[in-house]
Amino acid sequence: MRFRAKILDVGCLNSFTRVVNTISKLTKTCTLRLTADNLYFMLSDKVANGGVSMWCELDQGNFFDEFQMEGVASDANEIYLELVPENLSRALRTAQNAKSLKAKLTKKHCPCLTLAAELPSLSSVSRVVTHDIPVDVIPRKLWHDFREPTVPDFDVSIYLPPLKTMKNVIDRMKNLSNFLVLEANRSGQMNLKIETDLVSVSTHFRDLGNPPCGDGGSQGASQDLETMAQARVDIKKLQQFLSSQQVNPSKAMCSKLIYPSIHLLPI
Amino acid sequence: MKCVIEGSNVKVFGKAIHALSRISDEMWLDPLEKGLAVRSVGPAHSSYGCFLFTRLFFQLYSLNISSPQAALGRCKLPVKSVLPLFRCSASIERSVDSCKISTGLSDTQVTFQLFCKHGITKTYNLGFQEHDVLQAVFPAHLCPNVLKAQPSLLGDMVIHFPASQEEVTLSVCPKRVTMRNYCEERDQIKVMSTEMSLHPEEFDYFHVGVDSDITFCLKELRGLLSFAESHGLPVYVHFGHPGQPVRFSVENMVLEASVVLATQTDSESEVSVQPGGSEDPAAPSRPQDAPPTAPPEEQVPSSQGSPVLSRPGNLEYFGLHVATDSGAHAAEPESADPATFRLHSLLFGAVSSPWPNEGDVLHTSLACASDTEEDNMEERSSATPMPIY
Repeated sequence: MRFRAKILDVGCLNSFTRVVNTISKLTKTCTLRLTADNLYFMLSDKVANGGVSMWCELDQGNFFDEFQMEGVASDANEIYLELVPENLSRALRTAQNAKSLKAKLTKKHCPCLTLAAELPSLSSVSRVVTHDIPVDVIPRKLWHDFREPTVPDFDVSIYLPPLKTMKNVIDRMKNLSNFLVLEANRSGQMNLKIETDLVSVSTHFRDLGNPPCGDGGSQGASQDLETMAQARVDIKKLQQFLSSQQVNPSKAMCSKLIYPSIHLLPI
Repeated sequence: MKCVIEGSNVKVFGKAIHALSRISDEMWLDPLEKGLAVRSVGPAHSSYGCFLFTRLFFQLYSLNISSPQAALGRCKLPVKSVLPLFRCSASIERSVDSCKISTGLSDTQVTFQLFCKHGITKTYNLGFQEHDVLQAVFPAHLCPNVLKAQPSLLGDMVIHFPASQEEVTLSVCPKRVTMRNYCEERDQIKVMSTEMSLHPEEFDYFHVGVDSDITFCLKELRGLLSFAESHGLPVYVHFGHPGQPVRFSVENMVLEASVVLATQTDSESEVSVQPGGSEDPAAPSRPQDAPPTAPPEEQVPSSQGSPVLSRPGNLEYFGLHVATDSGAHAAEPESADPATFRLHSLLFGAVSSPWPNEGDVLHTSLACASDTEEDNMEERSSATPMPIY
């Protein structure tokens, strides 16, 4: 099992760092899957009540100038590693002005993902920072746990309001209740509601716009535009997701709403 | 003692207090003839920080020489009572015109007065309890390794380590300087390890007499590094073998600041000369060459009650000892002897006399004779006491 990769372009390094930062805010540990063409960051949280699962697929060619991988076996040319994304994020944070970043799988006191950044220096010899990030190799027999989730049929798909606004609202609501009901319809209307014994609060958004009803839309055009599809979610998880997004706040996000879960897709 | 700090120097003073707060929860104000020394000693006496503000730093500095000791105003204060006065350096810059510190007027209080804009005066009377001051004696001229670096260089090195990283190991050899995080072996399995290395050319001055790996507490150093960076002062690093303390210092016309940290001893290098080992065969000191006047930690008066801290496992922190005189009267014969330096790496002067001027005072601190220097600190307690002047 071997892995070596190199990033030479500062822009690619920044983008990769932003993706890793987003993931590190979502979860403490995750699975990194390496194939010949892609990297995947995956998390499947099997908690019954309001768990979070995440699937992130990256084309390695978009980031790496060199990428060589040899999987566990010739008929299973993939590597699955469990790691703490915060470690990766921390290693990348101070290497943003690196001339080059090399990543490889090594064995120190345990299997490690070693990142070595070559940094500019005042002398003719570059500075080198090396980080050894401990990883666990996931054996092949557990790989089936990490299949790509299928995007289920959805009732409503809607663009979210600016994340900053939504985050502000949700931050306030979090103090009052643990669960929030999110409802949206195909007329670009979305409501966030909480209800407790003492108080009920709802925030209404208008004119959000719906993406074109492409694949997966069930009922289709026959559905009444005004009908709200509802889902009840844990506020903390939603807040965690929103605060992890490192995208420009004015960028739109697409949310597909199906009962009983919400899929949020940054675009 | 009465002194007035004016204008932008108030912010400098505040930053010094911040730096010292990283070392300990307590600080000493020690008015001296040459200026005001502000000191801090870390827990277990394994670290020490001192900022000496010379007379030039102050608009006014007056010391009442002929008064009894109490009036000199040496005092120990909790850092958390002083820090809030200088907490926000931006607002100090905006609103504080000058700061006046008065000690010795009362047996129990020191007064800080901040004269602010719009005629506002804030007066703080801070209580203190003790008069004795500890000071480390560090013979820098005996250190085989000396580095001088711009503060941004050291900042670039430590930035790769998270704020929570306690200890780091600095390794020097003629070709490379490396810093890596240190963790105890039992924690090592799942901890991310980081190593940063650069070429000696990047230092303003680089003299390595002996290749050495020293492990010390980074957290306590960060305060001084940030002070140096904000004032653009180059940092001097003096150190030697593992086990000998390391001193980081900065200075300019109006102040001198230093932080002395104990480093971990490597038990193998203590016991005997290792052929081809990390010990330089020409190194001046061997444990067995200890002179008879090694002071014990347990028997010194006015000590802050600190036995040498012994960490579990093989590596031990070289504790700080309380010895005799303070300041420039370091003409103790022991300190000139490299072997002695190695043993009592950090010597503290407990100033118990009415007048701290060098040479005039008889100190009655005890020091202990021990026949052989054992690496195992517990065996020292069998030595017999002997006075040292």
